[in-house]
Amino acid sequence: MAPLPFSPYTFIQCPCSDSTLLARPADAKSPTGADAEEDERTFDPRAPRSNYSLYPLEYLLYCEDCHQIRCPRCVSEEIATYYCPSCLFEVPSSNLKSEGNRCTRSCFQCPICIGPLSVTTQETRHPDANLLSADNAATPHSGGFSLTCSYCHWSSTEIGVDFDKPNGIHAQLAKIRNGGESRLTAKERKERRKELSHRGDSAAAAAAREEIEEQVPDLENQFANLKSFYNSQLADPTAADNGLSTLGDLGFSSPSSLSRIMNLYTGGKISDNKAKSRLGAIREALTPEEGLLVANLDEAALISQLHQSEHCDTASMAQITSQPPNLGEPALHGASRFTSSLRPIPHLLRTKRSKRCPVCRHIISKPEPKVQTTRFRIRLVAGSYIPSISIKPLTLPGPSGSSSSNPSDLLISLKPVHYLLTFKNPIFETIKVTLATPAATPGRFPSKVTVLCPQFDIDANTDVWDEALKDNDRSDKSSRNSGGTTRQRRGTEAGYQLEVGKIWERGRNWVSIVVEVVPASLRLEDGGMLREDEDILEIPMFVRIEWEAENAGDDGGIVPGAGGKDKDQKEKRELAYWCVLGLGKIKQN
Amino acid sequence: MAAPGGAPAIHRSVANIRSPPGPSSSSHHHHQPHHPSTPSRSVVVPSPNFGSPSSLRADEDVIVVDFGTRKLQVGFAGDAAPRGCVWFGPDQQRRVGDFRDWHPDYKYDWRQAAGMWGWGRDHELWQGGDVRGTDLGLIGDKIERALREGFTKYMLIDSRPRRMVCVFPSGLPIPMLSAALDSLFSRFQPPTISLLSSPVALSVGAGVRSALVVDLGWAETVITSVYEYREVKTTRSVRGVRYLVDQTHKLLAKHLPDGSAAKSTDGAEEEEYKLSFEECNDIATRMVWCKPSKAPAATQKAEGLETLVEQDESENSAPSAIQRPGRVEIPLRSCRPPTTLNLPWEELSEPCENAFFDSQYSRSGFDDHELPLDLLVYRSLLQLPLDVRALCMSRIIFTGGGTNVLGLRRRIFDDVSEIVRERGWEAVQGKAFDQMRANPKIKRKGARQATGGPTGVASPSAENQEADGVWHDAANTLPEVDPIEEQLKKGQDKRPRVQGQLRAIESIGAWSGASLITHLKASTVSTIDRDVWLQHGAAGASKAADVDQKSQRQSLGPGGLLRAANVGTSWTLGVWGTG
Repeated sequence: MAPLPFSPYTFIQCPCSDSTLLARPADAKSPTGADAEEDERTFDPRAPRSNYSLYPLEYLLYCEDCHQIRCPRCVSEEIATYYCPSCLFEVPSSNLKSEGNRCTRSCFQCPICIGPLSVTTQETRHPDANLLSADNAATPHSGGFSLTCSYCHWSSTEIGVDFDKPNGIHAQLAKIRNGGESRLTAKERKERRKELSHRGDSAAAAAAREEIEEQVPDLENQFANLKSFYNSQLADPTAADNGLSTLGDLGFSSPSSLSRIMNLYTGGKISDNKAKSRLGAIREALTPEEGLLVANLDEAALISQLHQSEHCDTASMAQITSQPPNLGEPALHGASRFTSSLRPIPHLLRTKRSKRCPVCRHIISKPEPKVQTTRFRIRLVAGSYIPSISIKPLTLPGPSGSSSSNPSDLLISLKPVHYLLTFKNPIFETIKVTLATPAATPGRFPSKVTVLCPQFDIDANTDVWDEALKDNDRSDKSSRNSGGTTRQRRGTEAGYQLEVGKIWERGRNWVSIVVEVVPASLRLEDGGMLREDEDILEIPMFVRIEWEAENAGDDGGIVPGAGGKDKDQKEKRELAYWCVLGLGKIKQN
Repeated sequence: MAAPGGAPAIHRSVANIRSPPGPSSSSHHHHQPHHPSTPSRSVVVPSPNFGSPSSLRADEDVIVVDFGTRKLQVGFAGDAAPRGCVWFGPDQQRRVGDFRDWHPDYKYDWRQAAGMWGWGRDHELWQGGDVRGTDLGLIGDKIERALREGFTKYMLIDSRPRRMVCVFPSGLPIPMLSAALDSLFSRFQPPTISLLSSPVALSVGAGVRSALVVDLGWAETVITSVYEYREVKTTRSVRGVRYLVDQTHKLLAKHLPDGSAAKSTDGAEEEEYKLSFEECNDIATRMVWCKPSKAPAATQKAEGLETLVEQDESENSAPSAIQRPGRVEIPLRSCRPPTTLNLPWEELSEPCENAFFDSQYSRSGFDDHELPLDLLVYRSLLQLPLDVRALCMSRIIFTGGGTNVLGLRRRIFDDVSEIVRERGWEAVQGKAFDQMRANPKIKRKGARQATGGPTGVASPSAENQEADGVWHDAANTLPEVDPIEEQLKKGQDKRPRVQGQLRAIESIGAWSGASLITHLKASTVSTIDRDVWLQHGAAGASKAADVDQKSQRQSLGPGGLLRAANVGTSWTLGVWGTG
């Protein structure tokens, strides 16, 4: 197993994860709210909980009005568009309730390998020729159509399913069981039954009804049976005008029904006393029609099928879990065990969502509603409000300069290394950054960390052209040999000396500082195992940014506007958060 | 059923003509005017912190969440099946933006994970009933992330607050319940959360009021007897699916090329895992099966005969020509080096045998927490009052992941029938007792006697059940007039209920049952307001018994399912709070 190439990374903890514990007053005696001193502790990036609150900078948004970072956990979302990721058709939201959360056109995934399935005619010899022309074929198809996977060559004929028409596969599939047996949906059953009751012919009706009842009770039918049974139990004929008894009758004819409807909106406390007393009087279901289903415990057939099948004939956990809930499954237990009982997976629909700040309700991200475009109308990414941190190892030319510090190189235990952290200021104000790290990283293997310059200012992100006109020779700013004004003081004269309390390098809107780390020794006394990622040197760092913002109005709107009306006065702002810097991997000895 | 489907559209239009909040509903109902007038709203909508006008509309769909140890099912109330199912797993516990799973060189190191969490523990939301050393905050985080995935990926809903109905296993300790509720209330802002216990939801989903719910769950097997929607008794055994996976690992490790030697020297107690949990779990779901009952099951039943046939087939493995030679190949990838095992198919029933039955040991040798399942079912039936037992034994519901093991349900059922046939419903057993029973002189007149066959139950109640269809204890004289009882009788059908014979029935599942309950607008024993919870937490809950007992009784009838609508400020955690 080749080790993964390591590149340094930064994760930011959204401040919202602290406040969850404070959602309730600390004095309330609750089993979970016990950690009052949680704030005092250093943030431990390795604690299992940290994984839930850390985000890369690109995932974070920023609310301009609250001046706060917003992570995916602390935004409120609204749905702009529902669409199928396969055919990119938009789905109206009303369909979702009735049709479910999957594409109802002909978008399916292979149940074996989740590749996309395409509709093909069955008798054709050239499967690729008719991928597109299946539906406009001039010649009448006698053999029908099937879904095939172009990746693993699975075909729906393997599970005994083929289709009459090349379109509307979803609807056709819902009526076919594996093996080709047809199935009535609950709606059809009901219609069929109603039809029968209208018809006079009692003998034929009874026979047909029997036929309906003989259908294998699948989940959908079973649920429908139970529902109608309970509803009939609730509908007490003696109290026709009372609240819940007439679930079907939702007219506005009487005040009681009106109040009932309104009650539906008010927190579930809908049942008045009469309704409740009727709920208590439900009897149990007695017949299959009412939803009572005596279990068929005899699984001998399946066992012998299992006996005769290879390991690869049985469906894996991954295949089973990716199956949609199958309403037509004949058995309520032991669902899809063999690959022959898997079904094509209709694509899950997706959504485009706009996001609001939960506090001030301002929109902080709003996508273009059209499915095909990936643009956003509004998107306030945190990267344009808080400084980004980039990490690279620092090699000092000189006597020890020969050791090349490639990022992929492993850190040697107890051998000090230096890293260059470059903070880049995205906003139009000068910001003051204060850093804090624990002297030793938390966890089982404490590495020593020293930030040589924990406090510094970064100049504003002024117009690029201003800077370019000011000095022309900054073209190659990443190269350290370009020298000149980019490296102030440190470079040439000090001979690459590291000085405590001094910035390493400074640019237009960025500052580099040096962090010295002494990697811990990864030796365990008890001979235990390293946990995943424990060999990665991660340092928690508390970042605090202060800046003075001009008040609202006079800037282009990118600078955070303030609520105050006073234009002359500058407002002091601050933002503080924990972040985690992944510096490198420590070599295991 | 057309009309309820069309209802939401009407609701939506009425939302605008809301009048200002009125007094509480209890007083409201008494003064209900008889002339047409616009009624005032009975209950103030608990406005969440982050409320907006648009949030009101979302109230119409209620979200049902079913919490299991390894997965979480979400969907809308009224649907037949959940929209989605989210499994807890290590890939879910990574940081956002950590895409190492997709890296071709990356391989999840299960050994490291096993070292940190315990083998397979990273696939669990919580560790059964063990709160010691549990990071409750982590549980909350896991729930939040899983639920968020369920909401965005499967339910496709926005983050407007919606009412929630949560199905929890009834044995869940309060700290864990509290952690879960904390997470739900603070992250999703539902105005209310109703709690349902899974056995009750299951029995509703089976269409019965009383049932014996045999939950072959992940961490343990829990047997709950539900009588009139009320949980009467719970017994449990550690023989759950997790144990089955453990046993599967043991079997596979035994067959590993290098495993056999090491295994014998190290001894069985050494917790050294040779295969990944994922692989063993996969094989346990795919290949493991359960042998039919050895005992000659009741011969008068047609099904019993079939069992015998199947038994012959599998043990002699000769009759049909198609039959493969009884060996099966299992590719294994998580061991070093990867290998393919070739083991007799027969042996794949061993894990199931060992995990659930351990029939090689004497039945009296088991501790209370590790009873084999047949005995556990029998015991829990035995410990029930006679009348409850009569109803429960003919409403056995199997549920949980263990039901997927082919033949397991049948095996348990047959074994229980066998025990009943052997012993009857006698708590006492042993040689002396058998002698006493065999001796007609000593036998007292009223002593119960085991009848032959699994269908027989010697309950005195059987004598009068045909008479009126309403069961009551024979020992009782005329029962005093009980309004609840009366009401029950009124609602009851005159047809006799099946009782006194062992019978298994199917349930549509806890999630679907809860969906049904919510759809029928039955309110639950425990409904928690967000504001109240955020103020008091679990400590604010009253004991279920203290909460408005009177109105509760009236409303429930004997059902624990339904409760008085407005209990004012006191609320309860239902079955969870009483413990």
